[in-house]
Amino acid sequence: MRRLPVYIVLDTSGSMHGEPIEAVRQGMQVLVENLRQDPYALETAWISVITFSEEAQQVLPLTELVNFQPPVLDVGGRTSLGAALELLADRMESEVHKASGKKRGDWKPMVFLMSDGVPTDDFERGIERIKLAEAGVVVCCAAGPQASTEVLGRISENVVKLDAADFPYIKAFFKWVSSSISSCSRRVDTQAKETIGLSDLPPPPSEWGASK
Amino acid sequence: MTEVVRIKALDGTLVEFENEVRASGGMKDVYFSPDRRTVVAFFRGQSDQATRERIEVITGAYREKIFGQEGGDYLKGLFRWPTAMVEWNGRLGMVIPFYDSNYFFEHGSKNGDMLGIKGKEKDGKWFASASNRARFLDSRELGDWRTHLQVCLLVSRAVRRMHAAGLAHSDLSYKNVLIDPTSGRACLIDIDGLVVPGKFPPEVVGTPDFIAPEVVATANLDRTNPARKLPSRSTDQHALAVLVYMYLFYRHPLRGDKIHDVDPMVDEELAMGSKALWVENPTDTSNRIDPTKARTAELPWKDTTRIPHTIAGPYLSALFTRAFVQGLSDPTARPTADEWETALVRTMDLLQPCRNPSCEQKWFVFDNTVEPKCPFCGTPFHGMLPVLNLYSSSVEGSFRPDDQRLMVYSGQSLFPWHANRNLVPNEKLRAEFKKRVGYFLFHEEAWYLVNEALPELFDAKTKTAIPVGGRVELVDGGQILLSKENGGRLVVVQLVHST
Repeated sequence: MRRLPVYIVLDTSGSMHGEPIEAVRQGMQVLVENLRQDPYALETAWISVITFSEEAQQVLPLTELVNFQPPVLDVGGRTSLGAALELLADRMESEVHKASGKKRGDWKPMVFLMSDGVPTDDFERGIERIKLAEAGVVVCCAAGPQASTEVLGRISENVVKLDAADFPYIKAFFKWVSSSISSCSRRVDTQAKETIGLSDLPPPPSEWGASK
Repeated sequence: MTEVVRIKALDGTLVEFENEVRASGGMKDVYFSPDRRTVVAFFRGQSDQATRERIEVITGAYREKIFGQEGGDYLKGLFRWPTAMVEWNGRLGMVIPFYDSNYFFEHGSKNGDMLGIKGKEKDGKWFASASNRARFLDSRELGDWRTHLQVCLLVSRAVRRMHAAGLAHSDLSYKNVLIDPTSGRACLIDIDGLVVPGKFPPEVVGTPDFIAPEVVATANLDRTNPARKLPSRSTDQHALAVLVYMYLFYRHPLRGDKIHDVDPMVDEELAMGSKALWVENPTDTSNRIDPTKARTAELPWKDTTRIPHTIAGPYLSALFTRAFVQGLSDPTARPTADEWETALVRTMDLLQPCRNPSCEQKWFVFDNTVEPKCPFCGTPFHGMLPVLNLYSSSVEGSFRPDDQRLMVYSGQSLFPWHANRNLVPNEKLRAEFKKRVGYFLFHEEAWYLVNEALPELFDAKTKTAIPVGGRVELVDGGQILLSKENGGRLVVVQLVHST
């Protein structure tokens, strides 16, 4: 069975302290609960979590959905987005199986990246490496008004904006992530397309109006 | 309290629903009626005139065509067919009967429902995947091989009825076919996408795993290109063959180990499209599944040597071969839903209960070999077993084989459609013909047919009439006439001894 690798990249800098990080924790819980009720995702989805603050860290290596335990998320420090992108590229290189003549490869990974601020490190190299890494879809979530949509927009053309980094918005975002993974592991396009865009995923939270 | 919305449907009936989205599909939002007997599904956004016309005929003319005839009440159990068209706040919607409670998990997953799926819909994918079955589902949800055959039979019957009415479903998949393996029931949902050749073109290409190869292979062509293939009755036939195969063998017929391209999307497109190849293709073995690479939870199902399609018996094997050898590239070779239905009815008559009380599949198709055994758990069958070969006459006094058999086991029933070839067990069968007319009994080392309602039962070997209430022993070479009416059957007994 072909795996669908999913990388969740989370900003855990100091500004996420309090409600935002608590909402992320709950969001991850909801994400896992939803996906485990989906027989398609259970068969295919593998999830990894990378956090970035002072440094970037893979807090959960690529793990089969059924064994996924939401990792402990500590907040504090700056916003090392560049380091996170480089780590993400490294991990994708080593964890995602490419097809060889004999062995079936994985689906191209899905990446969901959430940040509420402006990067404090050099991110040019990271952006370069993500562009070269063969991701199926990269969605950046600008959580709240302080998030740099300009930088996120350079990582991917798929940017979802949340008006505030609060409970309703962040939870709605994670709910949307879970339905995106669900529909992707179900539909995984038979059309030969190089990449998947936002239009191929369920409508993002800002368009739902439910979280307002 | 959620606000209850009351509106009039297009046909004037009152429609009530709670103003809260309870489920969302790809194109629709679903609301529940206060009594939970119906749901109302509204399309998101504006609907075009074509959709409006389609929903109108689905809830109107087509519904009457299918349910207004003989057997219509029976068919209601096989479909969640939209009953009325509604409009609310500029959105188009339809009233659909609610699913029966048996289509929701009663026990859910293992270990006290570790996945939290109790009460959720029984998406067919749970049951069509060997690994989901073995790793996650509570064993009380799984049913057995007999109920899975019944599920396939009902799905085939529902598709056959749609096709007979000139309609194509266009998106048969696990999502749109609810199944309940514990009771052996099934029903088709999401009828609103149906295709009427020449009138309503398809809106979706289908769901991966079920899209016909010619549709996948031409998906990148423009819709107006004459080479472009879109869903139709013959693509339904491919989807139906895949469904039946998956519900019986818990593996996909085309997902083998062959790699067509290093790019996963291109590989997928080729494997499901122009290069589609059956994992059990008799001559081209390049897409076989290597069982040593499969996960433990996927075995024995991914081992096509241990569980080949031939364990489903001669009728279904022949259809699988047509569907997945010739039928992949030649849509006209695909078995029709009618053929699947007939083959499944006949296959159910070949079942034998497994002697192993802990066998997970419980039933298997008896193959007429010297050493019969359950293909699932390997338990051999010992003893004496009658096989009844059915013959019938079109000219009085001359009987020809019907290519139909009935396997006998203790408690097995004989029905009117066994006694007369002109009776077909489907939705049109009248109630009087649904009751059994005899049963089989093993008593003091001999097998008997007990006559309950066959007034003309006649032992042709000994020239003796067997009255209702009487019984006749089944001996090797025995000939028993079940009915003297036109189409009446003659049974030729074959006794299989297995030590």
